[in-house]
This record gives sequence, structure tokens and C-alpha cells, in this order.
Amino acid sequence: MRRNLTALLASLLLAAAPLVLSGSSAEAQNGPLRIEITDGVIEPLPYAVPSFLAETPAAAELANQITRVIAADLSGTGLFREIPATAHISGVTDFNAPVRYADWKAVNAQALITGAVSVNGKQLTVRFRGYDVFADNELGAGLQFSGTTDGWRRMAHKVADAIYSRITGESGYFDSRVVFVSETGPKNDRRKRLAIMDYDGANVQYLTNSAALVLAPRFSPTGDRVLYTSYESGFPQIHVLDVGKVQRRVLSADKGIMSFAPRFAPDGNTVVYSQAEGGNTDLYTMDIATGARKRLTHAPSIETAPSYSPDGSQIVFESDRSGTPQLYVMSASGGEARRVSFGKGRYGTPVWSPRGDLIAFTKQSKGRFHIGVMRLDGSEERLLTASFLDEGPSWSPNGRVIMFTRETQGANGRALLYSVDILGRNLKPVRTPDGASDPAWSPLQ
Amino acid sequence: MGLQTGTKISLAGHGVLVGWVAFGAWLPSEPLPLPVQEVAVISAQEFARLSQQIQAPEVVETPSSLTPPERSPEPPEVSVRPETRPDTSTPQSTPAPAEEAPVPTPPEPEPEPELADSLPVPESPIETPTILRNLPVPEQVRPADRVAPVPVEAPEDEVAIDDLVQEEVSPDAGAVSAQELQDATAPEAASDRIATEANEDDEAEPAPTVTAPATSVRPKARPRRPEPPQVAEPEPNTPEPDQSSAIEDALAAAIAGGGEVEAPEPAGPPLTVGEKDALRVSVSKCWNVGSLSTEALKTTVEVAVSLDPEGRPKTGTIRMMASTGGSASAAKQAYEAARRAIIRCGAKGFSLPSEKYDHWRDIVMTFNPEKMRIK
Repeated sequence: MRRNLTALLASLLLAAAPLVLSGSSAEAQNGPLRIEITDGVIEPLPYAVPSFLAETPAAAELANQITRVIAADLSGTGLFREIPATAHISGVTDFNAPVRYADWKAVNAQALITGAVSVNGKQLTVRFRGYDVFADNELGAGLQFSGTTDGWRRMAHKVADAIYSRITGESGYFDSRVVFVSETGPKNDRRKRLAIMDYDGANVQYLTNSAALVLAPRFSPTGDRVLYTSYESGFPQIHVLDVGKVQRRVLSADKGIMSFAPRFAPDGNTVVYSQAEGGNTDLYTMDIATGARKRLTHAPSIETAPSYSPDGSQIVFESDRSGTPQLYVMSASGGEARRVSFGKGRYGTPVWSPRGDLIAFTKQSKGRFHIGVMRLDGSEERLLTASFLDEGPSWSPNGRVIMFTRETQGANGRALLYSVDILGRNLKPVRTPDGASDPAWSPLQ
Repeated sequence: MGLQTGTKISLAGHGVLVGWVAFGAWLPSEPLPLPVQEVAVISAQEFARLSQQIQAPEVVETPSSLTPPERSPEPPEVSVRPETRPDTSTPQSTPAPAEEAPVPTPPEPEPEPELADSLPVPESPIETPTILRNLPVPEQVRPADRVAPVPVEAPEDEVAIDDLVQEEVSPDAGAVSAQELQDATAPEAASDRIATEANEDDEAEPAPTVTAPATSVRPKARPRRPEPPQVAEPEPNTPEPDQSSAIEDALAAAIAGGGEVEAPEPAGPPLTVGEKDALRVSVSKCWNVGSLSTEALKTTVEVAVSLDPEGRPKTGTIRMMASTGGSASAAKQAYEAARRAIIRCGAKGFSLPSEKYDHWRDIVMTFNPEKMRIK
């Protein structure tokens, strides 16, 4: 009996042994160790930009100014953080000398930008190189820009664009301009005029006087013209302005017909806009050269704020056909529209992203205004801002940043321009000399 | 006279009973556990003092004057939904909050800036950028750290240096059984002098252009296909030729497969979940996706790296194995961020159990930014 029991236990152990062994071998490691990283940090990337070398005596001041503009561009994105010069271990004394990576690693500079500036008469030359410090190599090939000394800020922006592009993998937006409505005076007597400036608020110049109310300027795809709505004749009409010559002309001069909210098609030859007749507002297109018009919508509701997709095949617009203002998408030639916004609240001023994957909009909900983005089908709605009054988003040329108007509450409230990353980070005001509204970002120059 | 049996039993029983009564109480027995409660002993004075009513606090007849709370100069702003929509549904509907206070004072006329007569054309006079020639590859400013009596040139790029020194084994012509081939370990690059920052500029002589890698990598130890062993013509029925052929075939198959020679399966217990988590956390701390493009934030990359026994990544071994979800450009940016994370946080060596080095010598890290997009 006892022997039988022992034999039974032994056979059970033998039977279980393969199972145990197979279990342990399943956990055994074959090949390299594998781990998955899903959590990281979101921090500005530290970079160093020692003052560019002045290769000629006349270049000393410009070299320093160009360096500062580059640093302001990069740090202003919120994606990069400059390591102050006081922390640098080794300086750069020769543009073509090898970089001492160890010295830059020691201060945790993950990117390094070096450059040299020379001035010969009015001729300005800027050379620069970028380095991936922890990879011990260059960030692409060095570049050289040449131009006149008047364009030194643009050259600095171009250098910053190149560095930004090499680090992030997407194009920059620094060498661009913004046209906007400059506002002065109190709220009950506000004077508005068109103005243009660099994207960072420098070089402000005025394009119209304040004799007539102006609204909603929009750049052409090449940045050489601006469409806007003016009340010069007493009712809204669309004007087009040549930016280089500062010459303007009325695009729609039909008396008694209000036309507004214009925007260029991607080909630059067609304008889509809203036209109000007999109390009804619909969308139209107009050939700029011939003036030929085409009606796109035929609805008793208000259709306005149209914006083309980057390929010009579709138009997103705002309509209150469902009872409240919502966003709709239709073919660029008109026809049936599909609703894309379904959240609670009112949606308006949609703008198609230059990348084509998102729509920016203004949303009013629970007494607050938001700037937000959503997918083309209305999914993944993300509200980026919230304030008393935010409106009128405009995309940066690379589709990474949105500029908009924020107006503060009260009798002394004023409108200012703000920008925000499409992830909702780096919300900050844009420097303007006076109040400002209705920004429109140009393409890269 | 003899007693009866019953009487005897009775006497004996009673005797035992009397004896137990007389002596049983003296036998040691376990005392029952008594509950004990500790009490504090205090004196009557102390009790009286404790029982006394606590003396009332002294009342100040004239209270100190209260400081009025700070009042903000203006009541806080209340977010009120404006009555008019500021959208551009119609141009007239300009946003105007309802409680706009009338400001009777006329605004002072401000001098308007002059209109621009002309603006610089966007195609401003910046010429097409010129691509600069590449800088010479930064030379090894300092020679190899290792100082040896005889300087050794750095090996070729593809040659890696093993930590385990082994001698070359070549096929022995007279061997009966096939020998496993192996390359000799490449000698580590070395200099014959101690180089410091102080004398690194004194290197006038061109000889030591040694550009030894800062860290060494494990050699791939890919054996060359051996020459057919010069062995005697095998006898038809001997097993050796088959065995040799089998090894050769396996070797040839491994070479033909293009893959590296399989590393021997690591011995000993693998890393625990906790040890893997610690490594994961270490890398996560340096994985900065803040500067990545939105497309790169959708790209998952697999990055392989080999570590030295101190847990430091061998920079030259870091490479991208695969990527999903983005373009080649996005994958490049994602890979560079991953590489920076490995190098930066591994600079002082990842905290890994040294006895399990065989298990973490080679690591494949998958950097998946899906969760980071939401943050």
C-alpha cells in the first residue's frame, strides 16, 4: 500500500515536471532584452547659441542682434530653452573649428548653433551651423545667407527656421508676417486700420487709415495680396490690397449688396465670401480677374466664414441651419454639406489647417469663448484656450501655432493678439503697439 | 485474620484518596492568568489640582482695533456671457459686452502713424542660401584614454572590441574534429602617453591620428567561412565526415542567413519586473518629446543599444531597428529624441544588476509616444 502511494506521488511529480520546466523556459529571455517606454517628459529642449562671430568690424553689432533674434525665435516657440551665455564653458572663436562636444554636454546643451556675420558695405552675409551635441555630429549642412543689411531680421528668422526645421522635422514659421486690424481709442469710438508686421510684432506698418471700419484681412497664398472687408462706402464691401505697392481696389462694388468674410482659394485666383441679399446670407465665389461669380449655397439660414482646404477641393464654413451656428464641410463647387461640429455650444470662424488635417474654430459655450481644433470629421475636439472673449483663429504657415484675438472685459477692455500651440501650450500675447484684432498669418516668405 | 478482598480494595482506595487530599495541594500547578491593569498613582494634591477648574483667561477690557480686510480696488471681474456673438456671421455683429460703461470723455486725438508708401516685397533681397562645406569630422581631440607601452591604432569602424579577450582560432589542418572558428579580439586603441587638457594642444606630431571610439562595442565575431579542412579522405562509414558536414552546413546557413551569430542564451535568472521597470523609468526621465513635430509624436521607434558592464550605453551601437506610424523624416526625429534619452540618462550607467549582465548587454527599447500626445 505504502509503496503504491510512493509510486503514485513520483509519477505525479514526473508528470508535473515538464509543465514547470516549460513554464520557466517561457520566461527565459531569447535575444536582447526588450522594454517599452511610453512615458516621457515634455520640456523645452536646451540649446546654446553663442553670439555669432563678427568677421568684419562693421558686423559686430549686427552679429549680436542676429543672435538675439534667433534665440527669441527658438525660445518663443516654447519648444526650446536657451542656455545663457554665462553658463557656457567654452566659447566659439573660430566658425570652422571643431566643436568641443564635451563642454556643451556638460551644460546639457542638446543643440548648439554657431554662426558668423560679415558686412561689406551694404552687403550682409550670415553663416551658421547647427549641432546635435549628444550625437556628436552636425544637424545637417551649414548654410549661408546673403542680402542687404536692411534685411538682417529676415536673415535671422531664416536661420531660426532652418534650425527649427532640423530639430523638429517640420518647417518653421519665423520668416513670415501677420496682417491685422490695429485698434485705437475707447470701445465706443474705436478706430480700426489695417496693419502688417513681422510674426513677432516687429516692423509694424499701416496699410489703411482709420477713416473707415475695416475687418477680417486675409493673405493670399503667396503673401503678395490681402483681402479685407471695408465699410468705406457705408456698407461692407470686399477690397483687395497689393502688399508691395500698398494699392487697393474694391472687388465687389454692387450697391446695396453686402459682401464680407472673403478668403482666397489656394490657387490665388478665386475668392470665396459671404453675400447678404434680402436678409439672407449665402456663400459665393468670385474670379478675381473676371469678376464672374458663382453661388455655392441656397439656404434660408446664414452661411458665412468660408475657408478652403489646402488642396482647394472642399470648403468648411459656419451655418445656423440647424438652429445654432455649427461647422459644415462641402465641396468647393457647392452642393450638399455635412455637419462636422456636434459639441454643445456655438461654433464659428472655422479655418482649415495648412496641413489639411485639422480645423481651427471659435467656440462659445457656457459664457466662455474658446479657440479649439478638431479633426475633419469633428472628432478629437480640443479646446486650446478659454477666456471672456477669444475669436478669429489663424494658422501659422507650418500648422503648429494659432494666432487669435483676445479681448478683455469691461469698459477699458482692449483687444490683443495671442498665440498658442496646437497642443494648447505656450499661450502668450503677441507684441503690438496698440490694440489688435483679426490676425491673418502669411505663408513663409 | 485475613481481610476480605472487598475490604482491601476499599482500604486502598480510601488511602489514596486521603493521601491526595493531604498532599495533592502541595503539587505545583499553573496559576491562572490574571488580568493586570496598570494604573498611575497620584497624590491627593495632584488629584485636587487636576480637578480644579481651569482658570479663565484674562479678558482685556479694550479690544485692539480690528484691521479692515484689504479690499481690492475693483470688484473681481465676473465672466459674463456677452449678449452679442463676436463671430463674423455678419460683419455688424462686432463683439460688444453688454455692460459696456459709457465713457463720455472724448478720446484724445492720437497722432496716427503714417501710412506705408511701399513695403518691402516679400521676395526681399535675400539670396538663395548657399550650403557650406561640411566641417571636417571633429577629430579626436584627445587620444585614447588607454595608455599602453605600445600605441595601438584604432580599429576600423565596423570592428568592435570585446570585453572578453580571446585568441584567434583557425582551422587546424590535422584536426580530426572540426574546430569552432573565432576571430581574435581586436586590441583596444591605446596611446603611449597620458593626454590631458593641458597638453592636448601640444600634439604637433601627426602620428597619433588615432580616433578610437570612446566606448567599445562587442564584436560581431562573424567567422569567415573556413577553407575546406584538409583532412584525410574519410572512410565511407565513419561518422566524422557527416558530423563535420553538419557543422559546416549549420555554419554556412548562419552566414548565408545574413544574421549575426546567435549570442549564447544568457545564463542565470532574467531581470525581474522591478528591475525592468527601474530601467524603463530611468530612460523615461530623459525622453523629452517636447520638441518633436506632431507627426513625430505619432511615430513609434524601436531602438537597439548595447551597454557596457557598468550599464553605460555604447554610443556607436545605438541604432533604429524599426519605426511605425510616421514618415521617414518623423521617424528620424523620433529616433534622435530616443537616442538623446539613452545617452543622457545612461551617461552614468543605468542601475542594473551586474550579475545579470548577459541579460541586459543588448537591449531593444520601444519608444511609443501615444500617451504623450494627450498630455
